[in-house]
Amino acid sequence: MKNKKVLFLNALLVIAVMFAFTATANAGGKVYKLGMSLAITGPTSDAGNPYAKGTEDYFKFVNETKMLGDDTIDCTIRDDQYKTDITKRNFEEYLDEGIVMYLNYSTGSTLGLKRDFEEEKIAVLPASYHAGNLDDSNYIFLPVASYSEQLVALSEYVVKNHKGEGKAKVAFFIHPSAFGRGPVDDAKKAVAAGLNMEIVEVVEHGKDLDNSAMLKRLMSKDVQYVLSHTVQSPVATMLKDSSRLGLTAGSYGEAGKLTFLGVHYTGGNDLIALAGDACKGYVWTCSFNLTSEKNDGTTKQLALAKKYGRDDKAANSHNYAAGIMVAQVATEAIKRAKAAGLEINKENLYTTLNGMNGKNGYSPYTTIGPVTYSKTDRAGVDMLQIYSVQDGAFKKVGQPIQSEYMTKIK
Amino acid sequence: MSANKWLATGNFFTTYKQEQRTFLTNLDQSFFTFFLVILFGWPLLFELSNKSMLVIDNILIAIVAVMGLNLVTGFAGLISIGHAAFVGIGAYTVASFCRTIGDSHIIITHFWPLLIIFSGFMGAAFGAVVGLPALRLKHLYLAIATLSFQMIFQWVINFMSFFNQGQTIFVGRVFWFTGKVGRKDHYVFWYFVILTVVVILGFGIRNLLKTRYGRSLIAVRDNDRAADAMGMNPGLTKVYAFALSGFFAGVAGALHAYLYRGVGFESFTLHESIGYLAMAIVGGLGTLNGCFWGPVAIKFLDLKVESLAELAGQYLPSSMNLATALKPFTFGLVIVLFLMYEPRGIANWWRIAKSYTKMWPFRY
Repeated sequence: MKNKKVLFLNALLVIAVMFAFTATANAGGKVYKLGMSLAITGPTSDAGNPYAKGTEDYFKFVNETKMLGDDTIDCTIRDDQYKTDITKRNFEEYLDEGIVMYLNYSTGSTLGLKRDFEEEKIAVLPASYHAGNLDDSNYIFLPVASYSEQLVALSEYVVKNHKGEGKAKVAFFIHPSAFGRGPVDDAKKAVAAGLNMEIVEVVEHGKDLDNSAMLKRLMSKDVQYVLSHTVQSPVATMLKDSSRLGLTAGSYGEAGKLTFLGVHYTGGNDLIALAGDACKGYVWTCSFNLTSEKNDGTTKQLALAKKYGRDDKAANSHNYAAGIMVAQVATEAIKRAKAAGLEINKENLYTTLNGMNGKNGYSPYTTIGPVTYSKTDRAGVDMLQIYSVQDGAFKKVGQPIQSEYMTKIK
Repeated sequence: MSANKWLATGNFFTTYKQEQRTFLTNLDQSFFTFFLVILFGWPLLFELSNKSMLVIDNILIAIVAVMGLNLVTGFAGLISIGHAAFVGIGAYTVASFCRTIGDSHIIITHFWPLLIIFSGFMGAAFGAVVGLPALRLKHLYLAIATLSFQMIFQWVINFMSFFNQGQTIFVGRVFWFTGKVGRKDHYVFWYFVILTVVVILGFGIRNLLKTRYGRSLIAVRDNDRAADAMGMNPGLTKVYAFALSGFFAGVAGALHAYLYRGVGFESFTLHESIGYLAMAIVGGLGTLNGCFWGPVAIKFLDLKVESLAELAGQYLPSSMNLATALKPFTFGLVIVLFLMYEPRGIANWWRIAKSYTKMWPFRY
């Protein structure tokens, strides 16, 4: 009888201990659900893959270093193969799971899901910097300056640094899609508003393996500068053909030769790997710090990549930095909302992002300038750094710039 | 006719009328009715997530499209590798209305059933035009003609500013008798609509095949000269096969536009055309139930391969690049395996299973 009593008491004790531990486990922090859909496989996965790794690593880092205290971020990353239909499916799944913020990727899907974002009233950080994302939209926040702003800023750079008499004659080499075409109209508007250059031709590239005819045509029209807005591989093909034909300028703006420039997705280490020596002197705009220019930010970026076992290619990719950057902005928004005593939900994160300006601007280590958002400005980093390929790496050229004409044509 | 109307173990037809019955036995009819009740009833009992409903709706739309492809390729024997373009014609018919009169116009939001039917007729008109080369061309040459249509369609959509150069054209939310169909009910609402369309069109094909117009499709497929000698018009038959196929595709396109509340170019590319063809082959060309099996099998295979690639990505981060190849590899492998080992598709497994149960418990 006594044994039975002891057994009963022991059982009670075990149950009590179990409850105590369970209670401790439940007393842990809250979990904030985020969702990300991007092209890890399929078209543009060369950019999407390191981008996903950047986001994944930074959120791991946030949770491991208890950046949000006991609270953690659970960000599900799914592949959409660059297809809007699959992106929509992923987005619906995330909504079912109760996400508080959404990270998207392509221009097509960001435009395609714009109405859903509005209806759901959820803040979205895409990897697409298409200016059209902001039209009739309140919830899409571009991480950096739009492609339009980048192309216009690059055009201004061409005009300011033009070598030779008269107007700078330029050709645009663009992706055959809305992503490529979007900024061209803004560049034309800038010219109409007084930007002293002549747009001789707008070339929509196909899947050409040889650009000789196109390059010779541009030469026959006295084009001096070719501004690209596409992805790396067609630019690499063009640069290699130009180099083979001896058409590439030896120095910036060399008369009778072609000087090549491009915006965000045309450059980076992948371009150097694809084009080799042919990309020497290529001028590129980007709002991110590059690991070829050592500073505190790039050291942290490389340390993060090392911590999570990423290879050199991913670690040094500006797309890896871009992936980290959106995770940084999302984390910062959560952090600020928490500090303000707000509940972490879609509405409060949206409000917090809109308050990220002036003294409250946020400076992540991945970008060359602060991220600022407001109800009227939803492009994050407004500054652009000009880089140029020197000795097989992108090196800074001067101080960060900002477009003057974008404000005039808006 | 068998004396037992519930269990017929053989063919006992004494009149053509008996043979043309939609259901051979009362048991068939009962099973079908029960199955239909379940299909229409389960969303009222169980609540699925929006994502799952979207997947199911998407499969049902693919079924409508594959029905059309099966009419022209399976029943009439005319290879079409531009079927996604016909689906696109339907979707862009809705999109054109949205661009012209606004996506919240009453025609878009209230008269959507009429617009879906109209989109079907647009698909039929384009189908008839694209089918004209079938008067002169056969086999591979005809396939190239349909490929040309696919290319022309892609080019036009991708470059015309009226079509937003392929970027999404939004479609407004529709109204039902209960009011505006909101986000919460969107996918369930379209499930019922698309399922109704599938049932109506399914019966349409079933009945068509019992008429001389349907039989002439099969006759032309098997031997168009013999069909000609029998008094049929092979040329006209081929053109109307394309027109019918276009109608089904157009309806599928319009449903796609309403389901996704937008029309974008990338849903109607050559890759999608190949996908529809794969669904028709895997399901079983020239069979009605193959139109159901194919989309279900291919769409679920897609989902499973996606999950597999994702799982591989978690354990082997470097396998992300391998994952890129996993989907097209699996897709291609399945088609090759079906063509090699089961050219009659899943529909043949269904036939075998049915004939087994029909004779059960006897072996023959």
